[in-house]
Amino acid sequence: MRQPSPEELRQLDPDGHFGQRLAADCAAILALRERSDREALQAIVHRLAGAAGTFGFTEVGELALMIDDRFTEGLPVTPGEIGTLVAALLRGIQEDRNSA
Amino acid sequence: MTLEAGGAGRNAPAHHGGHSENALQARILVVEDDPDIAALLGRELRGLGHTVDAVHLAQDALQAARGNDYALMIIDLGLPDGDGLDLVREMRGRAIEAPILMLTARRKVEDRVMGLSSGADDYLVKPFAVPEVRARVSALLRRPVGLRGNRLAVANLVVDCDALEAVVEGVSLPLAFKQFQLLELLARRKNHMTPKRVIEDTLYGFDDEVSANSIEAHVSKLRRALRVAGVGAAIETHRGIGYRLVDLGAATAN
Repeated sequence: MRQPSPEELRQLDPDGHFGQRLAADCAAILALRERSDREALQAIVHRLAGAAGTFGFTEVGELALMIDDRFTEGLPVTPGEIGTLVAALLRGIQEDRNSA
Repeated sequence: MTLEAGGAGRNAPAHHGGHSENALQARILVVEDDPDIAALLGRELRGLGHTVDAVHLAQDALQAARGNDYALMIIDLGLPDGDGLDLVREMRGRAIEAPILMLTARRKVEDRVMGLSSGADDYLVKPFAVPEVRARVSALLRRPVGLRGNRLAVANLVVDCDALEAVVEGVSLPLAFKQFQLLELLARRKNHMTPKRVIEDTLYGFDDEVSANSIEAHVSKLRRALRVAGVGAAIETHRGIGYRLVDLGAATAN
């Protein structure tokens, strides 16, 4: 999918709500990883898989899709894979703040 | 029920400002539990001049669809209180025929096939690009009403094109296959003239032998079947032109 321009991204999320949600999701994922709460983790990852790419957070979206597939197929999801998603989230949040 | 409605222009982003490509303003139901996606769709569709009702539960969607005549419904598959596929099946079972654009993160071929088989008209995988949503919405809204559903209603007659069955007040009409094909064609074009040549092309292949009066014979048998079953619609003949299925109640009212 084509990466939206910064101007298009602002139009997709004019009040910055999705950017704030990414920060909340990132914190929740870290907490759930500590508790090994697979079900709650899957719910957040699934929502990210559907929404992140739409709002222009391509890397987050693609990683979330990959992990969501593993959850759906009943395959193990390693702490390293979750860590990669968290790192992408942190980059996305930072880029979003820089462009605001 | 949480029904977030907004009229045309409400919350419309400035960048859309009156899309001339969308002369048709429609009422659209958005069924999406992700608040950011729902808000994005609402902004975009209102920006195109449409009226949008948004709900996030399947039960609210069913209630809204039964109480309103939507031109289009956009339905997410993963809803908190049920599966969007079941919702679509239930809507189709209740003869709710508005076109449905299914929205989901499930992107395997079998998921898409299942979505379309359940009664959806189109399928869009998340993440999606906003211009693609706009294009698909416009395409679905451009479809002629008669081509939108597989359950066609004319007066008290329901023609179920999936079940290949015509039903009047719960009773199935005993029709031969060619008569059913003819009825489907006329029902899709209800109140509009259908030329005899179009009927021949629909009922017969290139290599089929078509006798001079075969269409007249099928029309005659179908007309009799409708009359015997008490259908409130009849086939009119316009000599030299073709045939038209008319709703007798609507014709009388007019």
